[in-house]
Amino acid sequence: MIRLTGVVKQYVGRTSTGNAVDGIDIEVADGELVTLLGPSGCGKTTTLRLIAGLEKPNAGTITIDDQVVADPDGGVFLGAHRRPIGIVFQSYAIWPHMTVLENVMFPLRSQRPRSSKAVARTRAMEALDGVGLADFAQRPAPMLSGGQQQRVALARALVREPKVLLLDEPLSNLDAGLRDRMRDEIRAVQQRLGITTVFVTHDQDEALAVSDRVIVMDTGRIVESGLPQEIYAWPTAEFTARFLGVSNTMTGTVRSVSGDTVEISVAAGVLRCRACDGLSAGDGVSVFMRPESFRLSRRAKADTDWSGVIDFSIYQGDCWDYHVTLDSGESVKVRVYREKVGLSHGDQVYLEPDQDSALVMPESGFARRMTGEAAPRPVA
Amino acid sequence: MTAVTDAPEATPAPPPAPATRHRRRLRVEPRYLILAVAAVIVAYLAIVPLGTMAVASLQSSFLGTGPVTWTFEHYVQTFTGAGFGSLVATSFEYAIAVAAAAVVVGFGLAWLVTRTNTPAKGFARVAALVPLIIPGILNTVAWALLFSPQTGPLNGVLRAAHLPVFDIYSLLGMIFVQTTHVTPVAYLMGVAAFTSMDSSLEEAALGSGARPARVFRTITLKLVRPAILSAALLMFIQTISTFEVPQLLGVPNHIFVFVSRMYEAIQSFPADYGTVAVIGIFVLFLAAVGLTVSRWVVRRSPTQTVTGKGFRPKVTDLGRWRWLGFAAFALFFVVTVVLPLAMLLWSSLLPTYSPPSVQALKTVSFKNYSTLFSSPSLLASVKNTAITALLAGVIVTVLTAIVAYITIKTKIRGRFLLDGLATVPIAVPSIVLGVGVLYWYLVAPLPFHLYGSLAILVIAFVTIGLPYGMRYIGPGLAQISDELEEAASASGAGWFHAFRRIYVPLLMPSLLAAFLYTTIVAFREISAAIFLYSQNTEVMSVQIYNLWSSGDYPVVAALGILMVVLLTIVVAIVRLIGGRVGLTEAR
Repeated sequence: MIRLTGVVKQYVGRTSTGNAVDGIDIEVADGELVTLLGPSGCGKTTTLRLIAGLEKPNAGTITIDDQVVADPDGGVFLGAHRRPIGIVFQSYAIWPHMTVLENVMFPLRSQRPRSSKAVARTRAMEALDGVGLADFAQRPAPMLSGGQQQRVALARALVREPKVLLLDEPLSNLDAGLRDRMRDEIRAVQQRLGITTVFVTHDQDEALAVSDRVIVMDTGRIVESGLPQEIYAWPTAEFTARFLGVSNTMTGTVRSVSGDTVEISVAAGVLRCRACDGLSAGDGVSVFMRPESFRLSRRAKADTDWSGVIDFSIYQGDCWDYHVTLDSGESVKVRVYREKVGLSHGDQVYLEPDQDSALVMPESGFARRMTGEAAPRPVA
Repeated sequence: MTAVTDAPEATPAPPPAPATRHRRRLRVEPRYLILAVAAVIVAYLAIVPLGTMAVASLQSSFLGTGPVTWTFEHYVQTFTGAGFGSLVATSFEYAIAVAAAAVVVGFGLAWLVTRTNTPAKGFARVAALVPLIIPGILNTVAWALLFSPQTGPLNGVLRAAHLPVFDIYSLLGMIFVQTTHVTPVAYLMGVAAFTSMDSSLEEAALGSGARPARVFRTITLKLVRPAILSAALLMFIQTISTFEVPQLLGVPNHIFVFVSRMYEAIQSFPADYGTVAVIGIFVLFLAAVGLTVSRWVVRRSPTQTVTGKGFRPKVTDLGRWRWLGFAAFALFFVVTVVLPLAMLLWSSLLPTYSPPSVQALKTVSFKNYSTLFSSPSLLASVKNTAITALLAGVIVTVLTAIVAYITIKTKIRGRFLLDGLATVPIAVPSIVLGVGVLYWYLVAPLPFHLYGSLAILVIAFVTIGLPYGMRYIGPGLAQISDELEEAASASGAGWFHAFRRIYVPLLMPSLLAAFLYTTIVAFREISAAIFLYSQNTEVMSVQIYNLWSSGDYPVVAALGILMVVLLTIVVAIVRLIGGRVGLTEAR
């Protein structure tokens, strides 16, 4: 288990001083894979480096497996080499002067107590076997492809069976196909070993795919945290919604609230959504809609459909992305699956918004869930 | 990725509130002990001779018998004295010309070797290193003989071709000889710069449609520009503080630069230590400005180019031109090695000097060598040189590796000061350093006497070698990504283990270069040694100087050849080890 309490990491820049990590609390349960998700500069990598012991916190405590590893007030700080961790860097950091096997043997030959050469060799070969690189053991490390280096880095991180696995954007240097395969591999290995893992990424698809839980970060703070499907379907902060690709944003006004339904009027028409606490008629709200939460047709099916014209379309293989200019002047992105022909510029279309998947938020946004308050989130 | 890694200087925690301070455990890690010891040694070596020089410049009579008063009179006399302006002009003209020529030739050859398919690279690599084994004083003597106005064989050739003879005893002659002497250093720095450069940056330019010539101009040259400037400044400073060329080639025609003026002042009776110190401090000021500029340039350029990701230097296909590259090497080799060595060899085989001719060939013998090997004092000098040079090389390599680590990889306060201290000796002309070290150990309140021991020579050589060690190891270290150490740390390796297993092997080329160069510098060093030797601690260079002064050219040549042979052995050994470790070109 990893626990961070009130952790602060200050940075002193040439022009400004601030907190890269600004008082965060995180708990990662045994065997859990938690993703730190956020844009560049949000503090996620610094958080990972704090857990690893590569940075010293300015305040707060960090505990790994009930052992306090950092507590500036108590004068406790264990360096990375004294923490039970394995880490995979974005650049992989494979030592170029060693062979693949030597790279993977290194942790076993460095730890206290040190493994014998024979034992280290056997276990390193097992670890390499686990990532499918046993045949490459004697290769000089720089002569591997990116994906292979990545696997070596993973084997090296896991070889001494650490309590905690830390992954710093491990997939971002790989090409797309390989990235998916490595992602699945990492998840499979993590589940097989049941190892507590922190995964840092700026890629939402990665985060949703591998995580037990996602923590969204921005400017050194936690925005919200939850199950991937919760975060995806019902983000409670505008930042999360935008970051997770809810690309259609509209402003509107609450017309009526009745039971578990709320009616919102937006420029294009009326939208019926599930009700959230704390809304009443006349409130200004922001409405977020995913591209896939519209049903698109060539003919109007109901009066409430929004009409518009195709601006341009993007073919994605498994889906089409249509950019539609509504009669009201707004432009929305609509994603349609399982369509073979596709529409083109100027085609008249009608959109039926999927009532359940629209997100409604007061313009000020909800209170953050990190505080532990129950989020005003509809239960599906 | 995050704000912290973007910020150039993430500093450790601010001091905790007083109430909690007493609870902080004070555990001194061995790491900090090692770092502290190295820092203290470097500070001592760098400051003491400088301090002695400063004191000497401000005292009415340094080490004199009369009463000592503090005064600026040496400064006033020196700066307002007749000829100071032309002294500065001549010194600059000389040093700038040498720096420019050495960097152009050195980096050009380095590029050919590291980044092109110039043929016979193995030969080229060795050929460019070989000039390092010829001490400056031998090089100077050899060229003085080659271009001797009456009997020089090269002037003989010029005369035969009805061309004007070349006057080696001129500013141009000084520039030429000093350039042949320092270019190999520029070459080594160039090799380091080109080897560590990420060639995908060049490939990106090629892929952008730029022709190879344009890529070279706009990408390659720009990327090595910090290294070029750094090398040029080093050449400039080294030239300004090198003794033998201005002394042997300039002084006979009354062409004076800083160093020869200082030597003249020290040779005069009574010795004018004040003037020596004033000019020394002036040169120190110039060097400080140069180093500040160099630091500024390097800081503004990206340095971390070797990452953990695949690192593969690529080579450019020169096509038919590659034979021209080979020719450039051959010419360089002839000028810097073949001609001087041939001249020395020829002289060493004759009972008395005469230009090469069939007649002279009949008098060839090994008499000078048998004289050499039957003289206990000459053999003792060989032993002394070997001991002091190797010891200095080892000490400098270890010290500078630690200091470079502190200044580049840690955020310890005062690290920039330490870097400055380790680079300071570069600005101290060896002559001044020699005088400073000598007088410090004459007046130092120490329980033992170092004067007259080999230790004092080692101290001087280590001090002289420090900045060069830093110049080799610093850039090499800066190019190793921090993540490589962090990965070791996260693998459970303590600092010392990580340093030994990650930095030492990755740095091995730089470490070997630092060791090699310091040893060779110490082998060849004369300007400081001439003040520090005593009857039983003469080194080879001092012997050569003494024999040269007494006009015994043939034995000078024989001893010189022996010195070259010994240096060749050192270089060969290091090359042999060097081939097995460190980054090798990926195929």
